[in-house]
Amino acid sequence: MIEIKQLKAEIDGKEILKGLDLTIEPGKVHAIMGPNGSGKSTLSYVLAGREDYVVTGGDIVLNGESIMDMAPEERAAKGVFLAFQYPVEIPGVQMTTFMKTAVNSVRKARGQSELDAIDFLKLMKGKCKELGISDEMMKRAVNVGFSGGEKKRNEVLQMAMLEPTFAVLDETDSGLDIDALKVVADGVNKMRGGNRSFLVITHYQRLLDYIKPDVVHVMANGKIIKTGGPELAHELEAKGYADIVGAAA
Amino acid sequence: MSLPLERIPTTKDERWKYTNLPRALKKLDLKPASLGWASNVALLEPTAPGEKQYRDTNLWDLNTAHVSDVQFFSGDAEIDVAAQNGQWLSPRIVIDVKDNQTVTIVERQNGQGAYWKNTVVQIRIGNNSTLRHYRMNDEAADGVSTIFTHVKVGRDSTYETFSLIEGAGFVRNQTHAEIQGENGHCWMNGINLLKGDQHADTTITIEHQQPNCTSKQTFKSVLDGKSHCVFQGKVHVHQIAQKTDGYQLSNALILSPTAEMDTKPELEIYADDVKCSHGATTGRLDDAPLFYMRARGIPEDMARALLIEAFCGQAIEGVSDENMQDMIRGKVSQWLTSRA
Repeated sequence: MIEIKQLKAEIDGKEILKGLDLTIEPGKVHAIMGPNGSGKSTLSYVLAGREDYVVTGGDIVLNGESIMDMAPEERAAKGVFLAFQYPVEIPGVQMTTFMKTAVNSVRKARGQSELDAIDFLKLMKGKCKELGISDEMMKRAVNVGFSGGEKKRNEVLQMAMLEPTFAVLDETDSGLDIDALKVVADGVNKMRGGNRSFLVITHYQRLLDYIKPDVVHVMANGKIIKTGGPELAHELEAKGYADIVGAAA
Repeated sequence: MSLPLERIPTTKDERWKYTNLPRALKKLDLKPASLGWASNVALLEPTAPGEKQYRDTNLWDLNTAHVSDVQFFSGDAEIDVAAQNGQWLSPRIVIDVKDNQTVTIVERQNGQGAYWKNTVVQIRIGNNSTLRHYRMNDEAADGVSTIFTHVKVGRDSTYETFSLIEGAGFVRNQTHAEIQGENGHCWMNGINLLKGDQHADTTITIEHQQPNCTSKQTFKSVLDGKSHCVFQGKVHVHQIAQKTDGYQLSNALILSPTAEMDTKPELEIYADDVKCSHGATTGRLDDAPLFYMRARGIPEDMARALLIEAFCGQAIEGVSDENMQDMIRGKVSQWLTSRA
């Protein structure tokens, strides 16, 4: 369960988030839609703890505990996961090394025993298979030379490996063709349920045909300006943002 | 006997602009000493070889005048050049690789206390041979180590070298390679890991004197504290040396605002059908990969270490001996751990 309360944040002295409220119950999937520049990506970075954003007010509470003052790695250990809109390439760091270091860091922080090489590979191979990721891809450097689809599948793989309680998907549909979109959506859908909450950030209703949200929010100018059911996404797709954003302003 | 400071290059000499050897030596109180090697072995060439324009050979001549120890190798060997406190040493290592040989030499340069080691390494590689020359520098904080390496590479032969500097007081590694036979290769790689007040200078001249030769230089430097690193690399392609392939790369990673990197790549080309390139960068660790790794739960220190190891990796790939690769990787991660 995630509670975002009156969240305000700025970058380079410019206020982007202007008092945002959002609560996602355990097991629910919320979507945020909104025009360019509304602050959607900023919200995702602030939730994950990127340090160049300055939080000037409000609170973020995950499962009853404020994570506002935590470093990104502490948040990850507490169960926050951000699937990046633009996954970062890391030349020279092999996927397997990266993944093993991440999984064991998180397990250690959660008080679980670290996985040895054999158990880790077993886990990883299983998850790779579910997502159609080849062993060969795991031998490459992180995201280096990956296609758009491979990068996004890799994000979902990392999510599956790290088992977050709150996952943010930032424009996971961008740069994906329909087949890749289905694979990614299937991966996400398999993880739905239990205590895990999702926040799906997207421009387009298309992704929400595959990952069906429980609640849809419209974000504009650093705030949530409208909340509704899945039908809201269809309404937005038909009419565009102008009406809603205009009406709220 | 005091050090002949008047014969030592100053920062007025172009190739010594960033490395102030007289200042480093003035602080020391040293006496001529010996490593206990033999000294009655004939020198390959007593006077400095090579064209006049690359002479810059004051230290070579000084070594010849005061040579304290000589060792001669023509097969696989491990050499320790270990100085003691108060010593002024002038060791000479002669490596003569005959035709049709593959030889591996591991040279460890280290010491204790304050000292000056003015080493000369003379190498001759015959035809159709390979010399792998791996140098591990782990010098004392008050040690001064100057090494002049001169290499002649014959036809169809390869000089492959890796230099790791993981400990330094004040190091100058100067190499002059002459590729004298067709289809000769000179592959030089190195990693400098510096912290505190350490100073390390890598100065290289490679002369392509025949056609169809290649040279590659890949150097990675990681600088912390107030350390100072210098990389000067020169590729000289003679008029006859058509189809030369010359490549030079120096990347420096600055971990502290007080560290300094000086890089001077030079190409001097007199042939008209050659491929030569150089690249030099100096920068800090990128924020984007660091955040990406931390967002996956990897603690900041560990993420930095992984990124620095990855940064160094490209230089290690140039080492053809896999055990040596593993050893170097181990040393890099050890250094990173000790830094934290």
